[in-house]
Amino acid sequence: MKIPICLVVNGERHELEAGPQETLVEILRERLHLTGTKEGCGIGDCGTCIVLMDGVPVNSCLVLAGDLQGRQVLTIEGLDEDGKLHPLQESFLEKGAVQCGFCTPAMILSAKSLLDRDPAAGEEEIKRALSGSLCRCGSYKKIVEAVQAAGEKMGGKRQ
Amino acid sequence: MKRIRPFRYVEAFTVREALEILAEEKEGAYPLAGGTDLLVRMKRGDLAPRALVNLKRIPGLDGIDAGAGGDIRIGALAPIAAIVDAPLFSAGQRVLAEAAGVLGSPAIRNLGTLGGNIGRASPACDMAPSLMVLQARVLVEGLRGKREIGIGEFFKGPGSTVLDPGELIISFLLPSPASGTGAAYERVGRREGMDCALVGVAASVTLSGNDRELKDARVTLAAVAPVPLQARRAEEVLLSGPLTEARIGEAARAAAADCFPISDMRASGAYRREMVRVLTCRAVARALRSAEGGKD
Repeated sequence: MKIPICLVVNGERHELEAGPQETLVEILRERLHLTGTKEGCGIGDCGTCIVLMDGVPVNSCLVLAGDLQGRQVLTIEGLDEDGKLHPLQESFLEKGAVQCGFCTPAMILSAKSLLDRDPAAGEEEIKRALSGSLCRCGSYKKIVEAVQAAGEKMGGKRQ
Repeated sequence: MKRIRPFRYVEAFTVREALEILAEEKEGAYPLAGGTDLLVRMKRGDLAPRALVNLKRIPGLDGIDAGAGGDIRIGALAPIAAIVDAPLFSAGQRVLAEAAGVLGSPAIRNLGTLGGNIGRASPACDMAPSLMVLQARVLVEGLRGKREIGIGEFFKGPGSTVLDPGELIISFLLPSPASGTGAAYERVGRREGMDCALVGVAASVTLSGNDRELKDARVTLAAVAPVPLQARRAEEVLLSGPLTEARIGEAARAAAADCFPISDMRASGAYRREMVRVLTCRAVARALRSAEGGKD
């Protein structure tokens, strides 16, 4: 059994047929070859596979093909504009917030969803927004610093 | 890549249609809401449904709106994230938003639904204690018709509810709490994000009249019994006189004495029992401050 789906990933429209048991992370990695999205635990615990769906973070390992019809998905590959890195990507590099890099796409996308709403988000809000992703290198401190720095670049003014 | 075994996928466009498909497929079919629990069990191999019936195409099942008679109606498919931000809640009802705000993670809250969280009937369910102090009713529908069930009577055991096979949760009805009601939810996990509750405690307090006399008090506990538990003796203690710190402490000890915590890899039973005492004190104190008109 295959179901037809039409979705927009990083601004590009895709029409494909998928098995109903296929999850968004499978479709992104294996059909669209967007391997920036990583699968960690596969059961919604580690948050490594987080992408933005209609602007909000979701665990792509827990979204079935049938729920993708008409959706807008943003992955880490869609963040730069004409080769220019997003402020979050720049800040992650500047602050050294990347060690092994496995959690980085999810951290950056969760952070984007927060900063798009509130570029002035403080440390506690940032920690809460990123609480669904594990970093086994333990780079949390630098990740939070990088998100704060990106927020400032995006126009957020802290008191 | 953790994969799911193939299944027949059906989209229902009305509740009736969903009920008919579920009845046809009998035990082999599961309703699909947020999927944050169902897909995990399928990936782990604990469940291998023949068919999934996706409920998300049914219009109106995910709304949060003013229902009849001053009730607030929360559709079964309302995402947990929508409950965190729901503007309709009165001061006394905001305890439900508070509980929603500590469930899982932001990404899980965007997917998971209230109906799924309650229908799963996990003893550690974060949403049940608040629904219980708010005396919510669960509207369910089967092929034989609709019925309302008090949330306190809804759970039978871990993973088990009073729903008949083929019945679906349609919505939750929150009655408007009496004026002068404050409520709070306290929980501990091993860490703040993405951990199921070791203990969750919801409390509500209603004060009335110029003398701010205590009219009602409710305490409910999660993760310390096979089902979410109303701490009746703690409520009786609270209602037996003025709400002094000593009385709140005595009620908290009663709540701790009356629950049935297990020991597992997350925490010992003794630790959970002590946390029931601590969190009951905190939740009642915060509910009282809120009822007295303080911010919290």
